[in-house]
Amino acid sequence: MGAGASVSDIGKVRLRLPASIKTGDVVRVRCLVIHPMERVERDKAGKIVDKKYRYIDKVTVTYLGRTIASFDTTQSVSENPFFAFTFKATDPGKLAVTFHDTHGETYEGTADIRFG
Amino acid sequence: MTRHATRWVALAMLAVGCAGATDRPPAAAPPRWSSRAIPAARGEVRAEADGRSIAVRYPGWTTRDFGRFRTYAYDDARPEPPVRRGGTPPAVAGDPVKGRALFMDRARGPCTGCHLVPGEDVWPAGNVGPDLSTLADRRLPDAYLYQQLWDPRVTFPNTVMPPWGAQGIFTPEELVHLVAYLQMLRGPVAPDRDPERNPSTRHRPVGFGDNLDPTNNPAVLRAEAAEALWSARGPGGKSCADCHTGGIDRAMRGVATRYPRPVPAYGRVMAIEDLLSVHGPERTGRELAVESPENLDLTMRVKMASNGMPVAVDVATPPARAALARGKATFERRVGERNHACADCHTPERGASKFLGGRFLGDVTAGLTRHFPTWRTSQNDAWDMRRRFQWCMTPLGANMLAADSVEYAELELYLAHFDNGKPMSVPGIRH
Repeated sequence: MGAGASVSDIGKVRLRLPASIKTGDVVRVRCLVIHPMERVERDKAGKIVDKKYRYIDKVTVTYLGRTIASFDTTQSVSENPFFAFTFKATDPGKLAVTFHDTHGETYEGTADIRFG
Repeated sequence: MTRHATRWVALAMLAVGCAGATDRPPAAAPPRWSSRAIPAARGEVRAEADGRSIAVRYPGWTTRDFGRFRTYAYDDARPEPPVRRGGTPPAVAGDPVKGRALFMDRARGPCTGCHLVPGEDVWPAGNVGPDLSTLADRRLPDAYLYQQLWDPRVTFPNTVMPPWGAQGIFTPEELVHLVAYLQMLRGPVAPDRDPERNPSTRHRPVGFGDNLDPTNNPAVLRAEAAEALWSARGPGGKSCADCHTGGIDRAMRGVATRYPRPVPAYGRVMAIEDLLSVHGPERTGRELAVESPENLDLTMRVKMASNGMPVAVDVATPPARAALARGKATFERRVGERNHACADCHTPERGASKFLGGRFLGDVTAGLTRHFPTWRTSQNDAWDMRRRFQWCMTPLGANMLAADSVEYAELELYLAHFDNGKPMSVPGIRH
């Protein structure tokens, strides 16, 4: 990332869906959250610095109030992690992607699924 | 304002003396400028304790000093290397095996950057120069080929091929080996198993999708993070937002379409990056050194406020016309160990839309600037136009100038005028 994102942006979720969706379409969703995804630090002796590392360890996707997918993630995932998945859009309603990090914070991005 | 107006009148009067002078360098001397760039971007050369000189460049770039060779600096009065005959080749037996290794050597040419020859290990070959797969069938004399490698300008005054022998890149003995290799290249050529090997049948790059999608282009995220910088007060107690009110998108709408442009207050052509590096500290007290992440991110964000609007750089006023003429002269000036000009690779009658090795060369007439700064997937970083220029200098064997040099700003203006009327789309995403 070079400069990296400023701290005030942590947790900002971007969700991208196709501009128009028809009933029954298999829709590809792209989402990204601004997050530092801290890596394990080692001291000069090579010992792991003991602290509670802040990284996203779970991502859940809910559609029409039902969890349709969840991802377990570790520190090997990059800063500002990006996820893409597909789902079948059967009914109009809310799609929510929620990122959970190890410090107990949750960040949510939502999209209104409409057919047109 | 009157002070600036007076200065413009003076410049205008100077420029009237050479009206219609878009084709020849104007009489008015370009202004001097001391760099406000980060140390790695100033194009400086440092003397080491052991007497060697080291060029200061970005991390990971070569530190070789090309000081012996001509640069794009306006005050570099050295002429192009004179056209020279190679004389008699040394009396050594040419070895085609050695010749082929030299032909492929990435540390020299590589010759394969421009010329296709047989062999599946020839990868990736370019097609800026002719396909040499059956060169020997033409029964050209050894002496002719030797001279062609030594300095092809003797036969072809406008060639884009470097004078390899005359510039000392290959020794006379090595040229004899190369000639021996070339004289082995007889047809017929076996058909290629992989169409990608031959640059004339290779697929052209297709791009990386929507460059303005933040989930697709990391530079968008960087630019958006610069919004915090826009409204953060500097040590001087003011922020950008205090003077440019109404939000960055309203305040800056259309501004970037006019850059680079002559800025009367500083008496020179400036890109957005250059203006930020002086105007920012003056008004807010915050340093925004050229090529620093802060400067680059803010530049991208300011340019994003003009996305979709047509580029409209000044090509009409006398200072702009004088700068354009100098920019065009730079574009066509041959520099460096390789004696190349920008025009060799980027004009349609020469290398544009051909492959240089695996790289597809941009065409200046199509406009190359309206997506800069751009995310470079190969570098994992956002680069502005000037870092791209500096990167080009290195393989040419020329020392780079400061990123905020007047030379680069006027070259960028010359390139940007081909973008006039075409929509801005910043940040771009490229290999």
